Order: sequence, then structure tokens, then C-alpha cells
Amino acid sequence: MRIGIDVGGTHTDAVLVDGDNVISSTKALTSADVTSGILEALESILSDSGVQEDSIEAVMLGTTQFTNAVIERKKLSEVAAIRIGLPSGAGLPPKIGWPEDISRSLGDHGYMVHGGTLYDGRPVAELDWSEINKVIADIKSKNLNTVAISAAFSPMTPQPELDVAAQLRREIPGVNITCSHSLGRLGLLERENAALLNASLLKLADSVVSAFADALRQRGLKCRFFVSQNDGTLMDAEFVRQFPALTFASGPTNSLRGACKLTGLNDAIVVDLGGTTADIGILQGGFPRESNIVIDVGGVRTNFRMPDILSLGLGGGSLVTDEGRSIGPKSVGHNLVTQGLAFGGSVLTATDLLVAAGRATVGPNQCPVTLPPQTIENGLNTIASMLNNGIEKMMPSSDPMPVILVGGGAILVADKLEVASKMYCPKHSGVANAIGAAIAQIGGEVESLVCYQDMPREQAIKKMSDEAISTAINAGANPKTIRIADIEETTISYMAEGTTRLRIKAVGDIPSQGKGASV
Amino acid sequence: MKKLGSESLADLSIGAVFLATGGGGDPYVAELITKAALDKSGPVDLIDPDDLADDAFIVALGGVGAPTVSLELLPSINDAVDTLRAFEDRFGKKIDAVVSFEVGGANSLIPIIAAAGMGIPVVDGDGMGRALPEAQMMTYPIYGVLPTPAVTTDYRGGITEFHTKNILEFEPEIRQCALSSGGMITSAEHPMTGKQLKASIVPRTITFSVELGRILREGRGKAHRIFEPLQTLFANSIYGSVHHLYTGKVVDSSTKIIGGYDIGEATIASFDGSGPPLKISIKNEYLLAMINDVTVASVPDLITVLDYETSTPINAERLRFGQRVTVYGIGCPAFYRTEKALNFVAPRCFGFDFDYQPIESLISSASPT
Repeated sequence: MRIGIDVGGTHTDAVLVDGDNVISSTKALTSADVTSGILEALESILSDSGVQEDSIEAVMLGTTQFTNAVIERKKLSEVAAIRIGLPSGAGLPPKIGWPEDISRSLGDHGYMVHGGTLYDGRPVAELDWSEINKVIADIKSKNLNTVAISAAFSPMTPQPELDVAAQLRREIPGVNITCSHSLGRLGLLERENAALLNASLLKLADSVVSAFADALRQRGLKCRFFVSQNDGTLMDAEFVRQFPALTFASGPTNSLRGACKLTGLNDAIVVDLGGTTADIGILQGGFPRESNIVIDVGGVRTNFRMPDILSLGLGGGSLVTDEGRSIGPKSVGHNLVTQGLAFGGSVLTATDLLVAAGRATVGPNQCPVTLPPQTIENGLNTIASMLNNGIEKMMPSSDPMPVILVGGGAILVADKLEVASKMYCPKHSGVANAIGAAIAQIGGEVESLVCYQDMPREQAIKKMSDEAISTAINAGANPKTIRIADIEETTISYMAEGTTRLRIKAVGDIPSQGKGASV
Repeated sequence: MKKLGSESLADLSIGAVFLATGGGGDPYVAELITKAALDKSGPVDLIDPDDLADDAFIVALGGVGAPTVSLELLPSINDAVDTLRAFEDRFGKKIDAVVSFEVGGANSLIPIIAAAGMGIPVVDGDGMGRALPEAQMMTYPIYGVLPTPAVTTDYRGGITEFHTKNILEFEPEIRQCALSSGGMITSAEHPMTGKQLKASIVPRTITFSVELGRILREGRGKAHRIFEPLQTLFANSIYGSVHHLYTGKVVDSSTKIIGGYDIGEATIASFDGSGPPLKISIKNEYLLAMINDVTVASVPDLITVLDYETSTPINAERLRFGQRVTVYGIGCPAFYRTEKALNFVAPRCFGFDFDYQPIESLISSASPT
């Protein structure tokens, strides 16, 4: 049996699953210290189910703590940034274009040295060790022990980053390093920003992982635990300590993965309806479709792997105005349960439309709601057209697709949506995100710019698939269950014909005796 | 003389994306480096073409290669200045002012970086008034300015000189040079006199881009609300009038790379599905718009696609299924409608099997929604 926990801004959800069955689930409020909320949720599902602690094989955690640290500029470490790329990029120092407050949080420690490679692997410049050693001496003199390293085209040729990292480790024992190539993706500034944010979270990651391990121990759970990342796969505890930034946006990913599990559908549209927003995502081959645009985290441009999510200002607590012709984006949020008409309050919300229409009952008192028939009709039409339009924007083609509704606001959808081939609102859809965490797998991904004229397509795909598989195994996946989950090819304009950006992802199950953290 | 400072860059960039008709690439990195250059030098002089002396010496400057490469092999703040200095050294000429190849992406901004570093003015105007995929489509060579002598510099300051007979020899040579020099180079080319420049330039497009960007920023909202301000702006410009071609959602969009270019087609249908859809053909830029197989606008006239909700112009590589968009067609600068220019920029130059007809004559016969 496994436990999945999702720590969100408002709620901490937990589920206990046995194979395909949900044994127990709970929704608790997220506590200020996070840990006591997790303990409360654990207590609830364990005592509710009567399951013994030693029959839990693994605990999976999805958390927004690292995203919040970046957004709130709290608990971030100072980081030295070394970019290997001169003579290219002079005048574009690390952290250029960052908001001033977060730039200040990481300190003024940007360095640029010669080196890096071109798209064809030739050096931009040779590494200059006297230059590099001078930089390392300066970092040492500032007593910094966290460093982010980036280099031109490092996703294809990581050696310059690895060489500088090795020298840093020799000179500054115990130094924490994030190399940009380990966060993948072409786009040097964005990848460097990702490495910087990740490095700034390394100390926090250490304390979060330790606190979670303590919480499990306190509750008598001796099993391994994992943390879910933004592509719907898991990291073991050791990996989270190195790559905390990979948890960004794991929440929406988990709800997509949970929707996949609850319906058995691998290709579908998932609408996660909360109190304030409807988040629309796409399941492709059982995993979220990823966004290919630049992602802004706390005002910093990054190229993290993130699910492609369209957020609409439509949720259970959205305010209804203009006789139902306009809904949202303003919302009473989680105060719906005190302010909504159906809960005895005085605010007309989207939920009240459904109650008035006799399509839903909510709340302990089930207060009746009476509205003019025209308002109800307008309101239901507005909800349907907002969702239809939003879903259409996300659909990969004009062919209708199944639509899965999850989240607490799923009752807003009374009838079949026009764009849907079929609608699903599975049982336990309210805790789909915690279920997504509970069933996550371990993945590995590689990306490179290849030229099919130099290496035939089949051979290039084979070579990179092997690399993706070994990355997944290194991250803790069971070699026997590994499969290639995704192959993405993007051709590049103004380059030699056949030049393609190739990205391959491998995934596998958690091994029964893997390398997760023992607690 | 007018001044151009870093506070105008955001408006200039977004206005340039509008005029780039789907091409030109993302100006983000170039904007950062231009801002750094202007913060250091202060505002640059923006000289009106009419204010240039007939015997002034001007060089066109810009990037050549694959914009994707610049995401890793970052440009340097010195690239633009080094290229102009190399030109001066090699050919013993003092450059009085620098001018842009085209509107859109990094190429709107590179001459500004050079002007900031050299302390010379940047000319208010460019060689296309829009973006187009090949060098021979610039107004300078069409008018008769020779592309060479020219120099390019690469990421490590490596200098290459070009001496070719004409633009058709120059274009493949410089593209080959870009490929073997890391994928992206800076080129100083089309040296010309003030007199030649005045006869060939698409004038005042920098000022116009800034103004256009301001209108898009201040009028941010549904695309039909921006139509009137746009009409007023274009009515007093070197461009023709603005025509609303279509509003609807993208129901199909696919591009693929053929011969180094992003080739594709997008189909836009009305919101309620009534009436025939609009089809747009793409070769890096939006080149042709048709309804029911009848052309409603074609290159060299401008076709631009805006996000329906925000009026933000959308580059061709970002266009995707389900987007709600408004499509405008705009008459191109008069220069491109001359017979001489149409030899290089007419629909047939892009592989379409029909002759160019100005947008205003097409609109009345096709009567789009």
C-alpha cells in the first residue's frame, strides 16, 4: 500500500491506495509549519482505514514549499554564478533581467569565464584555468558554499561545466553545486536561471527532506519516501536534496496524473475546478503535455519542464454578476463555505447557480437558493462557454476528446460540454492530486540538437533513448519496468536541413527495494 | 535630433513584432543587451533620413543566421561595434550613421547597440518596413546598392570580408559563413551614401514602431477596440491602410522546415463556425491570406495576427490550435509596389502561382467578414 500527500497553499490532501483501490482519503488545512498539517492528514487516513504502519510500502509527497520560497523570496541561500561562455555573451551577466528583490536575495556574485561549446561541439574557447582559479579564490574569500555553473550548449556538451565543478570541489570541500546541464533544455539564460534558483533552494531542500523524514518516523512509518516533480515522475530523497526546483508546478501535474489513474484514460483533457480557477491540462500518453514557452517563476524566466496549463478565472466561489452573463475572475475562494448563498451567506457564487438549478446540493444545512430562471440559464451557459472556449484553446486538434473533471468545483459542470467526446467525473476526484502523487513513477529525460544527415534518425533516437533510460535508472527507477514515454522532435529554421531538437523521456516504476530514503 | 533611450525599448520591440508579420523571432535577449548598452551610453541620436547629408556614409548592420543559436551562443555587447570598426579598418572609411536591415526580432535593435557604442546616430528607418526571409528582398539592393564590400564578425571576433558581384551571389555566401561560424554572425553590409539611402530606405519605421508599441500597450484589450487607433496611426504613415481580414479561432496550424525555412499553413474559422475560414500561408512570415481560395491579402502587403483578447501580436512559431485571433492586412510601403521591387518580393518569389494585387483592390472584391 502507498500513501500520497499533496501539500497545497490551502489544503493538504492525503490518500491511502492499495494497487488500484483508494482505501482512505482526507482533506486537511495546510499548517503554517507544513509538518503538523502532514501529520494530521497521515493520522486521519491511517486511523480511518485501520491499516498498520508496517504495511505501507512508500509515501509520495507533492509540495509547493519550494515554489513558495521563490515567490516569497524567503529561505533562499546566496549563490555564486559561474557562466562559461566568453567571449560570447559579454554584457549579459548572470541574473540579468531579474526582479531586484530576488536578485538581492541571492547576492551579487556573478562571474563569467571563457569556454563552452558551439552547436556542433567545437569549443567557443578553451578553458582558462588561471581565470577560473581566480574566480574560485574570490568565491572562497566570500565564504560562499553554494555555486551554480552554466555553459553555452552544455545540454549537448556538459564537460566544461563538469570540469569547473570538479575544480570547485577540490578547492572548496563540501561546496553545493548545481550544474545547468543537469536541468536540461536549450536556452542558456533560462537554464542558468533555473540552476541559480535550484542552488538557492539546496539548503531549504535539506531541511524539508529531514523534516518530512522526521514526520514519518514520528508516525511510525519506516518506509521509503519520494517527492513528485513537475513532469509527473518521482525523485527519491537524495535527488530532491540536489534538485528541489524540479518540484515547481508538481501540483497541477499530480492532478492530471490522478485523473489518468482514476479513469484509465491516457489521452484526455483534464479540468481541475477549484474555488477560484479552472486549470485545464492535456494528458498525452498518460502524462501531462508540457509547455514549450518560457516559464516565469517568481518573476524569473526559466525553462523548467512544466505542464501546459490554461487557468481560467472560474471556480466554485467565483462571483456571478450581470444576471449570470459574467462569472469570475473575482472569487470568495475558500470562504465559499461561509459566504455562498447555499451555505447561508449573502454572495451569489457559481456554486449557487447549480444549487438553484437543482443540479447540486452542498453544505451541511443545504440552504435552498432561489434565483430568477433567466439568471440560472444565463449562468449555466456562461460556465459552459467559458469551459468550451478554454478547452478548445488547449486541444491539439479539432477532434473531440474525452474530458475528465476533478477538484472540489467539479459540480459546476451540469451537462456534457460541447467539445467533449465524453465526460468523466470519477469517484475520489476531489483528491486527484494526492492520488497522482501516490502513483507517480521515476523518469529520466535527455535533450540534444542532432543532425539527421550526420546520424540517421533511428540511430540518433536509439542512442538518446539509451541515455534517457540510464538517467531514469540513476534517479532510482526499476530497470525491468522502464519504457520510453515520450519522443519529441522540433526542427530548427535557418539551419542545415535535418537539424532537429530531440527530447526523449523514459519512465519506470519504483523498485520494491530501491534507493529511496530509509527512515 | 530625436533621441532614443532605454525607456522606449519595450514599445519598440512589441511594435516591431507587429510589423514583422509573424517573423523576426523573439527579441528578448537583444532587448536585454540593448538596454545594457543604452544604460551605459545614454540615449542615442535617431536621425531622420532627410537630415542626412547626401555624401554621408552609411552601413546597414544586423544578424545573419539561425535565431535559435543565439539562445546558447549569446550575443555580446561588443559584437555590433566590433563589426562596424572592422568595416572602417578594412576599407578605410569613416561611418557616419548605421541603419537596420528589417523590422522585427534582434535586427531592429542591433544598429541601436552599435550607435550607442560608436557615438554615431542610428537612422530612423530600415530596409524592409517589415520582415522578409532573404537579403535580396531588402529595399537597398532592389534600389541598386551593392551588398559589398562587407564584413562579418563571429562570436570570437573572427572577421570575414565579402566581395561579391551582386546580392544573389552574396546571400548564399554569407549564409554559409554563418553556418560554419557557430550559426550566427553580425554583418555590416550595403555601404551607401546619404543620397542612396534616402532613395531606398523605408523611412521612419523606428519612430513608427515605438508609437505602434505604445498604442498596443495602452490599448491592451479586445482586438476590435484597437482597430480605430491603428487606422488613425497607419493613415498618417508610409504604409497603406489597415483592413480587418478576419476574427476567429485557429482550427489548424502546422509548420515544417523545408530548405531551412519554417513553411506552413494556418486555418482560422469564425467563432460560431459560420462562413468560410481564412487560410494563411507561412514561410517564416505570414505571406498569403485566402478565403474560399480567393486571395484577400498577399506579400509584400503586411498580414499580422493579434491575440483577440489582448491585441498582442503573435509570431508564426507561437500560433497554435484554439487561439482566438484577429487578422489585419495592411498596405505595404509604396516602394514595394514598384515593378522593380515586385521582381524580388511578389508572391511568385515565394512559390505562389499568381501576380500581386494590392490589398485595397482585393478587399472590395472578396468582402471578408
